[in-house]
Amino acid sequence: MQKFRKNTVTIIFLLIVMLGITGCWNRRELDTLAFVSGLGIDKAREPGKLQLTAQIIKPGEIKAPEAGGGGMGGSKPYWNISQIGNTVFSTVRAMTLKSNRKLFFPHNEVIIFSQDIAREGVRKYIDFLIRDPEFRRLAWIVVAKDKASEVLETKTELAKLPARNIAELIKARSATSEVSAVNMQEFLTRLMSKTTAPIASLIEVSAKEKTAQLTGTAVFKDDKLVGFLNKTETRGLLWVINEIKSGIITVSCPDGKGKASLEIIQASSKIKPEIKDNDIHITVEVKAEGHLGSQMCLEDLTQIPAWNSLEKRQSEAIRSEVLAALKKARQLNADIFGFGEAVHKKYSRLWKDIEDQWDEFFPNIEVTVKVESKLRRSGLTVKPPRPE
Amino acid sequence: MLEKGKISSSQLTFLIAGFTLGSSLILSPGLVAGHDAWLAVLAGLGSSLLIAFIYTTLAVKFPGKTLVQINDIIFGPYLGKLITIGYLWYFFHLASLVLRNFSDFFVGLIYPETPIIVFLIFITLTCASAVRNGIEVIARTSIILLFVTACATFLTTVLLVKDMEFTNLLPVLDLPLKQFIKASYAATTFPFGETVVFLMVIAFLENTKQAKPSVTLGLILAGILLVVASVRNISVLGVTEPIHTYDSYQAVRLINIGEILTRLEIIVVGNFLAMGFLKISVLYYGTVLGTAQLLNLRSYLPLVLPIGILMVILSILQFESTIENIHFAFDIYPYYVIPFQFGIPLFSLIVAVVRGLPKKAKEGSK
Amino acid sequence: MFGFISQKLRFLHVLLNRERNKQDNHSPELTQATISRNLDQNLKLFKDILGTSNDIIIREFSFGRDRKINAALIFVDGLIEKTTVNQSIIKPLMYDSHLFSLDETNVSSNIDYICRAMLSVGEVQKTGSVEKIIDGCLYGDSVLLVNGAREALVISTKGWESRGITEPKTEAVVRGPREGFTETLRSNTSLLRRKIRNPDFTLEVIKVGKRTRTDVCIAYLKGVVNPRLVEEVKRRLKRIDTDAILESGYIEQFIEDAPFSPFSTIANSEKPDVVAAKILEGRVAILVDGTPMVLTVPMVFIESFQTAEDYYSRPYYATLIRLLRFLAFFITILAPAVYVALTTFHQELIPTNLLITMAAAKEGTPFPAAAEALGMGVIYEILREAGIRLPRPVGSAISIVGALVIGEAAVSAGLIGAPMVIVVAITSISSFVVPSQSDLTAILRVVMTIFAGFMGAFGIIILLLWVLIHLSALRSFGTPYLSPLAPLSFSDLKDVFVRSPWWVMLTRPRTIGWHDPQRQEFKLNPEPPPEKPEE
Repeated sequence: MQKFRKNTVTIIFLLIVMLGITGCWNRRELDTLAFVSGLGIDKAREPGKLQLTAQIIKPGEIKAPEAGGGGMGGSKPYWNISQIGNTVFSTVRAMTLKSNRKLFFPHNEVIIFSQDIAREGVRKYIDFLIRDPEFRRLAWIVVAKDKASEVLETKTELAKLPARNIAELIKARSATSEVSAVNMQEFLTRLMSKTTAPIASLIEVSAKEKTAQLTGTAVFKDDKLVGFLNKTETRGLLWVINEIKSGIITVSCPDGKGKASLEIIQASSKIKPEIKDNDIHITVEVKAEGHLGSQMCLEDLTQIPAWNSLEKRQSEAIRSEVLAALKKARQLNADIFGFGEAVHKKYSRLWKDIEDQWDEFFPNIEVTVKVESKLRRSGLTVKPPRPE
Repeated sequence: MLEKGKISSSQLTFLIAGFTLGSSLILSPGLVAGHDAWLAVLAGLGSSLLIAFIYTTLAVKFPGKTLVQINDIIFGPYLGKLITIGYLWYFFHLASLVLRNFSDFFVGLIYPETPIIVFLIFITLTCASAVRNGIEVIARTSIILLFVTACATFLTTVLLVKDMEFTNLLPVLDLPLKQFIKASYAATTFPFGETVVFLMVIAFLENTKQAKPSVTLGLILAGILLVVASVRNISVLGVTEPIHTYDSYQAVRLINIGEILTRLEIIVVGNFLAMGFLKISVLYYGTVLGTAQLLNLRSYLPLVLPIGILMVILSILQFESTIENIHFAFDIYPYYVIPFQFGIPLFSLIVAVVRGLPKKAKEGSK
Repeated sequence: MFGFISQKLRFLHVLLNRERNKQDNHSPELTQATISRNLDQNLKLFKDILGTSNDIIIREFSFGRDRKINAALIFVDGLIEKTTVNQSIIKPLMYDSHLFSLDETNVSSNIDYICRAMLSVGEVQKTGSVEKIIDGCLYGDSVLLVNGAREALVISTKGWESRGITEPKTEAVVRGPREGFTETLRSNTSLLRRKIRNPDFTLEVIKVGKRTRTDVCIAYLKGVVNPRLVEEVKRRLKRIDTDAILESGYIEQFIEDAPFSPFSTIANSEKPDVVAAKILEGRVAILVDGTPMVLTVPMVFIESFQTAEDYYSRPYYATLIRLLRFLAFFITILAPAVYVALTTFHQELIPTNLLITMAAAKEGTPFPAAAEALGMGVIYEILREAGIRLPRPVGSAISIVGALVIGEAAVSAGLIGAPMVIVVAITSISSFVVPSQSDLTAILRVVMTIFAGFMGAFGIIILLLWVLIHLSALRSFGTPYLSPLAPLSFSDLKDVFVRSPWWVMLTRPRTIGWHDPQRQEFKLNPEPPPEKPEE
């Protein structure tokens, strides 16, 4: 009895205390939150200030069936809210003056930097984005060729949200492997590395259709944007950093009378550094496997000599892509491949002497590219459709 | 007897493992060593096995006696009491430190707008209810909680295999020896050396002779889990690891398998809390039982709530900010614990051997 | 305030006690009284005691060679089997006693003779104690009083209208015996005895209840059971000093270890095979006359997840189902709480697409999620209770009202979100998977939801820790409630998360029946016969 009374009193007391003191501090009902799906950072017209654009999902509209809405002129399922301010944090907070709901970032899928802001350096903005517990590290980092806010306004047909659209474009990159996909964690890893240069996806808005499309890779030196890789160079980069999933390589047929398209099905690569006589030498070994996807020439490519020659052409094409990327990287003097880290891991003693002068070393490193590629299958047909 | 319960050797093993994992799952030990932290943990485990040997030898020499009674026997009633008071302070302070760490974790990451006192009170109440039920109950909960934690640690590790970059562990031992020793030493004092509180618990072992193997096994079990967690964090986070306040939490946040198995951090949060509960409970229990023995009370139950309240107060007062906390943890704590973790136990053992203790006659006088 | 109330209660208690003592003050005399030689005097005594109820029949008759011996048969109409009384008691006495060649004056040997030679009834007891006679009479025995004898014959003629042995409603099985206990103690013990044909199988009867004098029977298997457990059960049963025992639930509440715990520490079952299995593991069963629910002690938590069918079906599927039961148990206590915690505290943990769907459903609903969850929970409990109590034909109306009004109308009217309805539905379905803990889960669910509503995941984890501490501290008749998990007993894990094949279950559960640990021989696993060498 004694014990029971004590326990009951404690429990009731606790419940009352809980009701009283915890109240509703961190309680937020779903309909008091504005879910941000994309964040764009632009330079404001006023010097030294930035303009933040957040894309907020309207859950009601996104779920409502199209027919029920007001037809074509119905309201958009998102709301882009813009605010000018000094720092990211203060600007985010200032947005609550315009939005009746609290901005909520954990479901943010893309972070877009405009080109001009990226050229000035992104570290100062990244800090908030990794310090605040609301942001997740799996958001994609994208650089817009022009203004970030424009990207968030682009037209989408299948996806309902521009930000979601971009995230899905990035996820679908593996079909071509011609654009890089970098999330916050990877970007941060590169940013914190002493030698490796950060990269990000590059996005452009087509002037006519107002649609967004990925066009390559933005390359940073330290935290400042220094240049871009086009699609070929990007694939060259991805070959080296082992990020190729799939893609189409177009080569000319051995008889030279048309093109053949080869589909990459598997690829892997290794960076092997070597220091000999105070010279850094790097060997990039790429292994790839592919299919014959289509041919536009009339030649019977499944004959052994033609097949072998096709394989050789495939290797050559890969090699040229890698070399193109390498050339661009040297030109920008940005170690996008992570050669420096590779050397560091293998030669940790010597590294201390090299570390600080890596910028001088990098453009002059000797790089050997070894490509070993195979063609495995030819699809449903073995010969082009032509009369025998 | 203040405590009627008896624990089996396997329960002691699980209790030690859970205790050692305690707060070290959120605050990774050996961080100073950068990407060699896992080696520092291993080294810490190795040296702590030696220290644990001192503890267990001491405990086996005086079967059925807690640290308080051992101190009385070895150092006599006056000096012994003084040393006991020192130890009680250490347990009490450590408990409030861990309490603060966990509450900070919740406030910092999940409940930014809630005052810290809420978490302090609720965690303390939970531990108090366990302490009131005695060591037997704490030991029983430890089995289940440790099992769940081990499963969760391995599960999160497996889910992160995709994101692991084992080259992040290279180059091995890429730091000055001095720094590595410092990191290993830090790993020894936190968490392994804190097992000194088990001198209050081993006395209730069913078979005191099994103390050595079960303590060793418990430490190794915890060590393995910590190394697994450490390797996981380093290989996933790479160079970004050192900037994080809670690296395990951050690593788990990166789990993303097909957009479905993602956002799983609540699992680790649950585990953190469970392990923290074990650690605080054992320390809390040690403090309460020790105080009761010191004051010659018939039951320790009346002490549970007052000491709990003091613990909450100390938790609030000891640091103004997490920055002070980190400073204390890294720069002061490793030296602060020297007498408690190594000095006094070693000295006790030497004195006991020299004086030929325990003498049969001495035992009767308590 | 609590002190005041309990003081009042104590006062009331004393008052009641005094009154009861006053009413009962003839009973000590009754226990010692014996009957006299005079039949008339005896009849008067019994008429006094038994009163004038019209179901009490006193049949006076004479028998013997010259019908000089007066006798009376007392029984309660409705409790006896009429044919037995007529054919086996009255008939032999009245017709066959002509052939008596006995000394009619020596009545006490007379009664022995009647008992030995004339009554063709199985169970006859000779006693002079008024209390025993009354007890027997009220339990379907017929009492034969013979003039001049100091003792009466209590003849077992029990036979009353009772429910047949039918399939129990609560523990239906697909595979396994269909029979269930009934309300009659004797038939229940016979059901057990038929399963355990072993002289060590012991039944002991204790009468409990001052006014109802209910038979409570302890059943155990000597040699397997821990004798201290039996002693403890008996001690606790003897402690009970109450008016009435109408159901085993009364007993349960008087003897359980933790009366304030929401967890029940005594198991019950309606199936003889289940109870027999538990007795064979070294448990003690408590059968109470008048109810088919049989108690077994000690109980461990895991028992709630074990069903009879687990042991009859093949091990893989049984294991799978058992794991599913654990899952369902957690779903039923946690689902609404987790939903509330996720939607009001940890929105970042919900996958984006799901979150958008949930947010769209939440749009415009007036109540906070915690209130929604609690309200729906209450409505569900009302529906369930109504469904159980209602006469069958009306039952379908309830389900229509429940499904249409609560499920459909409330959602389309925008009163509650559709996901909440789904959560409550899943919760309620899951709660039927572990029926033996259903009252507990209902309570835990509500408390969990409240905690989750105030503190989110932290509240849930803290509450789970509290429950774990409580469970670890619980004991049932000396056995830790969480065993074999905590304290851990590796050999017993064969029947916790997995149900090992029978030939692996070599030992009885350690914490219960460690008195005779071995259940079977090693290496009983079936294997193909050794190949004979070709000749």
